[in-house]
Amino acid sequence: MRLRHAIGACALAVLFTVAQTSAYAAPACEPENLATKYPKLAGKKLKIGQDGESAPFSHRDPKDFNHLIGLDADMARAAFACIGVPIEFTTGAWSGLIPAAMSGQIDVMWDTLLYTPERAKRMDFVAYMNSATAIIVPKGNPKKIKVVTDMCGLTGTANLGTTQEAMLREGSEKCVAAGKKPIEIVTSTDMPAGLRLVLNSRADASLTNKFVGDIAAQTTPAIEVAAGIVTGARIAVGTAKGNDDLVKAIADALTVLKANGEMKKIYEANKVDYDLVTEPEILTK
Amino acid sequence: MGSEAVESILETLSYSVSGFLLQGALAALEIAVIAIAAGVVLGLGLALMRLSTFKPASAFAWFYIWFMRGTPVLLQLVFLYDALPPMGLKLDSFTTAVLGFTLNEAAFCAEIIRGGIISVDRRQTVAAAALGMARFLTLRRIILPQAMRAILPALANQSISVIKGTAVASVIFVNELTFRSQQIVGQNFKFFTVFAAAGLIYLVMTSVVAGLQRYLERRFNPEIERKRIATPVPDEEPEAMDWRTLIDAKAPAAVQDPAFVVCRDVHKSYGPREILRGIDLSVGRGEVVVIMGPSGSGKSTLLRLINHLEHVDGGEIVVDGKHVGYESHTDGRLEPVRNLAKARAEARIGMVFQSFNLFEHLSALENVVEAPVQVYGQNEVEARGRGVRLLSAVGLGRHVDHLPHRLSGGQQQRVAIARALAVSPKLMLFDEPTSALDPELVGEVLTAIRHMAEAGMTMIVVTHEVRFAREVADRIVFMDEGLIVEQGTPEKVLDRPQQERTQRFLRLIERPAKH
Repeated sequence: MRLRHAIGACALAVLFTVAQTSAYAAPACEPENLATKYPKLAGKKLKIGQDGESAPFSHRDPKDFNHLIGLDADMARAAFACIGVPIEFTTGAWSGLIPAAMSGQIDVMWDTLLYTPERAKRMDFVAYMNSATAIIVPKGNPKKIKVVTDMCGLTGTANLGTTQEAMLREGSEKCVAAGKKPIEIVTSTDMPAGLRLVLNSRADASLTNKFVGDIAAQTTPAIEVAAGIVTGARIAVGTAKGNDDLVKAIADALTVLKANGEMKKIYEANKVDYDLVTEPEILTK
Repeated sequence: MGSEAVESILETLSYSVSGFLLQGALAALEIAVIAIAAGVVLGLGLALMRLSTFKPASAFAWFYIWFMRGTPVLLQLVFLYDALPPMGLKLDSFTTAVLGFTLNEAAFCAEIIRGGIISVDRRQTVAAAALGMARFLTLRRIILPQAMRAILPALANQSISVIKGTAVASVIFVNELTFRSQQIVGQNFKFFTVFAAAGLIYLVMTSVVAGLQRYLERRFNPEIERKRIATPVPDEEPEAMDWRTLIDAKAPAAVQDPAFVVCRDVHKSYGPREILRGIDLSVGRGEVVVIMGPSGSGKSTLLRLINHLEHVDGGEIVVDGKHVGYESHTDGRLEPVRNLAKARAEARIGMVFQSFNLFEHLSALENVVEAPVQVYGQNEVEARGRGVRLLSAVGLGRHVDHLPHRLSGGQQQRVAIARALAVSPKLMLFDEPTSALDPELVGEVLTAIRHMAEAGMTMIVVTHEVRFAREVADRIVFMDEGLIVEQGTPEKVLDRPQQERTQRFLRLIERPAKH
């Protein structure tokens, strides 16, 4: 009995310690401790760069165009509220965001930015979700496209410089290797422009971010999403090199939001698949 | 279908008045207006540098224009916005856009303005210089008003393309109209109505430019400006005029001054071509000297050296005891003064050109009062009064408000004479004043010159009118190949020429006299 008591007491002690430790390890939102946790952020107002034209990530509130909404906008608000730093959104064309983040004209680029080792030479990243691609086709999918290699000899479009464009090029090479005609690739400057190519039968399919494609399909009855492909590419928040406090603060905040369920709520509110979320990870190389 | 179309139109209209898009329009407009205004000012400077004879200035302007015009504005904006911060210069979006577009517009405006300036006949500048007008005064009063007709349409094009071109500034976070409309489309995919609304707003903005262009083109169109017809002034009988008072002869012909104009061993070359090879000539006060000679003999060049429209290469010219626009160095060398225009104005030498060279955008009277008011600072009302009297004296009282191109050649040349007289010249130079005229118009011009001669004006007249020379000239100077071949009274030179070259020339030009 004594032994059992002793074991019980030990077990309790261990449990207590574990509980203590885990309570200590789990970071929490402590905006009031900003100055001690992330001293370099104290007293600052951060500029968050977004394009404001890609639903459901960053887009204008249909009720008030002056208000920015979407997954990225909501996540940025939640994360920096958790950190305790005031922010303002700066909207500009997507192609200008990366150079602006590198040069420090904006503090953070939070706009479905993909991490690549090449980009990591000039920027630091906090990756937090996997990317997925949608194949948008005319309603009824007349060309029966399910995977990229179904598009041999057909015309496909994607935004210039995106992973989707790379997917089309890779698919085209596979077509040629299999003795079929290559994919005719047309690059677009923005997602709605690619969508219009499909609507006007100038392209047979448009490859775009899965959730952007889902929203487009909801608002445009003439199209549908033929397939969704998880690409394994990682969506991340980007900053200029050398902002260690900022990168750490973002990673910590995302960890908290994931742990306390707030992140899930944001994903659900914006109708983005929460299963794509990964553990936040700082990537500097 | 019908109701759908109506719905689309209504939706387009409602977007076109949405505050969100209009704010974008305002951003585009602000950038464009500042960029064009500053671009025109900088462009004028660049255009003048490009036209300058000072090589480093023109080379710099050429390089600037070449570079700014040759690289995309989008890349320039990204560079200004994102490449300067590491060097310690962090500009905000709006400032970057204004700066980028201004630097760009300066290059384009420079070429537009330069095109306008070189479209204006160079002889306008020569005429202004002969009136003692300084370079910038000539530019402001004579060249630019005429250049405007060529500048305005191109400038309006440029302004419109800047308003629309501000769309590329979205890459540096300027939320202008196109970007804002793209953002709405990114949210609701209604590209047709949203873009139509944006297009409508652009159309309204560019219409303002088109309206402004129309207004300014009318302002700078001398034809339209002068629709009002002033009450014609009756022509006074030339005989009834007291020409002596009118031309304000500074000294009566009676005062003997055999060396009022003195040319000593004057040389002038254009490149390797020697035009004047040592001219010695004295003209007395009140004397009328007619210079004759074949084309290329250097007659016109000599006149242009006397009022220093061009530098003398060797020798010297003295008018009324002074070098016009030269100062003597300690070693006795003559150097052109810096402010040549002032020197010309002080010398008061009137000049009349073969091709009239009236200021095309100014009425007859405005041509006459330009120099008295702008160069000599005369009271405008007095100058106009005297201008009307001068125009009446040459028989043009009914044409004071007419533009040059409305007048015949003979009338234009008489306006030119009145214009030269308006500055109360001490000496009048005539460079083949009747050579460009139809034969029946020659008489009216020669009559005016004759009146001046009779009133005691000192004059040097280059002409081929033998009969006129015989009547008016105190002395005839015959030039050939840059030298004075012979000179003397009309009877001596015209009737008994000693030199073979003179005889040959006179045989060629003798023809039935018409007046």
